[in-house]
Amino acid sequence: MGSNPEHLPRARSCQLSGDPPTPPLVTALLSTFARRPGTLLAFLFGLLLAGCSVLLIAPYDATTDRLLTDLTVLTETVVVKADNDQLSVVEQEKFYAEAEGTVNAMKMRAGLYAKNEPEIAALDELGKRYHALHERHASPRTSLTTGLRATLLDVQQIQVAKKRSSVFSSSLNKTSTSQ
Amino acid sequence: MDTLSLAKNMLTAATGAAKGHARDLENYLRARVKLIADGTAAIAADRLKGKITEEDAKFAFDEIRESEKTAVLAIEATSLAAAQDAINAALAVAAQALSTAAGIAVP
Repeated sequence: MGSNPEHLPRARSCQLSGDPPTPPLVTALLSTFARRPGTLLAFLFGLLLAGCSVLLIAPYDATTDRLLTDLTVLTETVVVKADNDQLSVVEQEKFYAEAEGTVNAMKMRAGLYAKNEPEIAALDELGKRYHALHERHASPRTSLTTGLRATLLDVQQIQVAKKRSSVFSSSLNKTSTSQ
Repeated sequence: MDTLSLAKNMLTAATGAAKGHARDLENYLRARVKLIADGTAAIAADRLKGKITEEDAKFAFDEIRESEKTAVLAIEATSLAAAQDAINAALAVAAQALSTAAGIAVP
């Protein structure tokens, strides 16, 4: 799977209702389908005839994932140095500036995709975690960066979910084109 | 067309599609809990060694509290991805059934 956005959403997408679809909508749909399987069939056949696949979340973006991995490696390296009292103030300031810049670049890229609100909000929070440490001129020790590192893990989980979905969509497309 | 059997196959496909996301979510939550437990222990250890001030310790714990917002966002994104895969898996089964029963090629 390439990193270009145009390579990612392979199926045509359409909204179920409203804009944007929300988890309560999904919950309501699943609840209705569980009570009335006929409704599920009618709904899905309607989508089939319209030639639609459902798109509830923005597609996986390999560039965002790579930037996030690089940022995580940089952060963890700096944390180890700070824990061992091997990080100078100059290196510390450079790290915070670089990290905040990377998060801003990721936010810009995330804004290019529709249905990417959870990731944009998570990146906003990630920027706040770096900024709070930077503003305080805090040493990025393990003790002071736990909130930041937890937020990095949260953004990584969003990438994991998107990647799994992307692989799954590709396998569905391959199955349908081979039949 | 046997609609009951089709519905069953669609639900099986949907459930299978969501299972991978459920496993990922479990691993993520386990890793997150461990990270916060280790971090909390590090706050206590650094405070006892005098590496950080009391104010630093409060700041660090407030930041952990703030990070819970993104945990909710990560769970929301995973749920959306799981729902998307489940619905599309069910659609794929229905498309195959339609194609077999009526010879209609679904795009």
